[in-house]
Amino acid sequence: MEHAVDADGVRADHEERAGHRGPRATFDRALDQVKDDVLRLGARVEDALERAGRALVQRDSELADRVRWDDKEVNELQRQINTEITALIATQGPVARDVRVLLALYHAAAELERMGDYAVNIAKLAQQLASEPETPILKQIPRMEQICREQLRAAMRALVDTSEEEARGVCERDDEIDHLYNSVYEDAMQLMAIAPERARQATHMLFAAHHLERLGDRVTNIGEDVVYLATGQVEDLNP
Amino acid sequence: MKTRDPAAPDAVHGDGGGPTIRLMTAQHELDESEQIAPAANDGDDPLAFAEDEVVFELDRLSCFYGSFRAVRDISLQVPKNKITAIIGPSGCGKSTLLRSFNRMNDLVDSARIEGRILYHGVDLYANGVDPVEVRRRIGMVFQKPNPFPKSIYDNVAFGPRVAGFKGNMDGLVEQSLRRAAIWDEVKDKMREPGTALSGGQQQRLCIARAIAVEPDVILMDEPCSALDPIATLKIEELMRELKENYTIVIVTHNMQQAARASDYTAFLTMGDDRAGYLVEMAPTQDLFTRPAHRLTEDYITGRFG
Repeated sequence: MEHAVDADGVRADHEERAGHRGPRATFDRALDQVKDDVLRLGARVEDALERAGRALVQRDSELADRVRWDDKEVNELQRQINTEITALIATQGPVARDVRVLLALYHAAAELERMGDYAVNIAKLAQQLASEPETPILKQIPRMEQICREQLRAAMRALVDTSEEEARGVCERDDEIDHLYNSVYEDAMQLMAIAPERARQATHMLFAAHHLERLGDRVTNIGEDVVYLATGQVEDLNP
Repeated sequence: MKTRDPAAPDAVHGDGGGPTIRLMTAQHELDESEQIAPAANDGDDPLAFAEDEVVFELDRLSCFYGSFRAVRDISLQVPKNKITAIIGPSGCGKSTLLRSFNRMNDLVDSARIEGRILYHGVDLYANGVDPVEVRRRIGMVFQKPNPFPKSIYDNVAFGPRVAGFKGNMDGLVEQSLRRAAIWDEVKDKMREPGTALSGGQQQRLCIARAIAVEPDVILMDEPCSALDPIATLKIEELMRELKENYTIVIVTHNMQQAARASDYTAFLTMGDDRAGYLVEMAPTQDLFTRPAHRLTEDYITGRFG
């Protein structure tokens, strides 16, 4: 088989892989399809999170409704990814990197589905807050939501590029979210102390921050999957 | 093989906690940049592998047919009471390597070796070693089941008779057939020809025949390639039972079989000179989940050139 050769005279494996020739072409094509689907799932969850955050700040009940409604598609896509991966494992006998990447994608899809549920929870809280007398949203919450989305995007990049470095970056940045969550906790407690009539709003905000903190942990899990995928070693990167 | 007594102390290596299995590869052949994961034996002693007792120790073994070098500079150790699989592309010298373990290559005129094979510490190719005794201790099962054109009973009794066995032959035949997991299927037709059995049964009969002479090691050269999937799984289950009493080395083209059935896997490939060499040997689970070398990964994931 003739191989494309780049300027340095090195065989350009990536070009061959993109074209998928060779004995594993069928598997490689199917694997690309699964990766595309996981990326699509990640994009949907990111979108759901952005809209849930906006619904919270803007007291937009209708927008929150759409987040809740669209979660069905997230769940459906996750089920489809599971089916694809199960079929590949059953029929293609993947080993070594191939089986690691399939398991990482399977787990990432499960984590993304769960993140979608957190976005729904935040949308529900947005609706409850919208039905209460207006209270300014603690400024750390939109910041947490933004970092979560950046983290999610980075984790997706790390996953499809098998970038260990990017994955480790994702895991390190999780501390920022944890600090903001602690800060929301303090502020919510203070709000309840000085304005007991706003205890409900303070509790809703605390729950929203809690969901975002959990969501951040799920992103970290995907980072750990990528490190496993890249190195074959299991590491706890969010101790 | 200075004695015919299987319990001879000179043949027993490392009593009281055997020597550590060590893993060696022909490093000169391998490009370090192609190392993709730490080797399974990575540790304080880069060669420390497991605490298993060693049956075979190969030291820079090369096998030649005339001037052609079929196998080059292989150093590895085969652990006792384990199943070691040898995998690799066609023509990489797997069968040649396996046949060097019981001097089966002696039967080929132009065949010779360089380097050493120690069997329980004894040099297999040293002067004075009797190749017939070597083959009694180190039995072989072949790709195509090859029962003798004799009765089932005589197939099993043949080896012990030749070896001058004077004990209870009926008992030995039954025990061998039981160990080969075929007793229940043949106990009522011991006088029927072995060739009348199905392929999978014939192969288990051949295993019983190999066991009857009380070997220490069973070499298997693609023992399932002529069998259907059920018969194949039966042989694999049998191998797991047999390793309690024997050391097994199996050459297989079927990577899933190596993954399913073996404890250790050695991956051989071919150099530019068409000589086979060892890329890596590792616990099977490690080799199939995170191989240490790019060549191994490309081969087992089916991306071999």
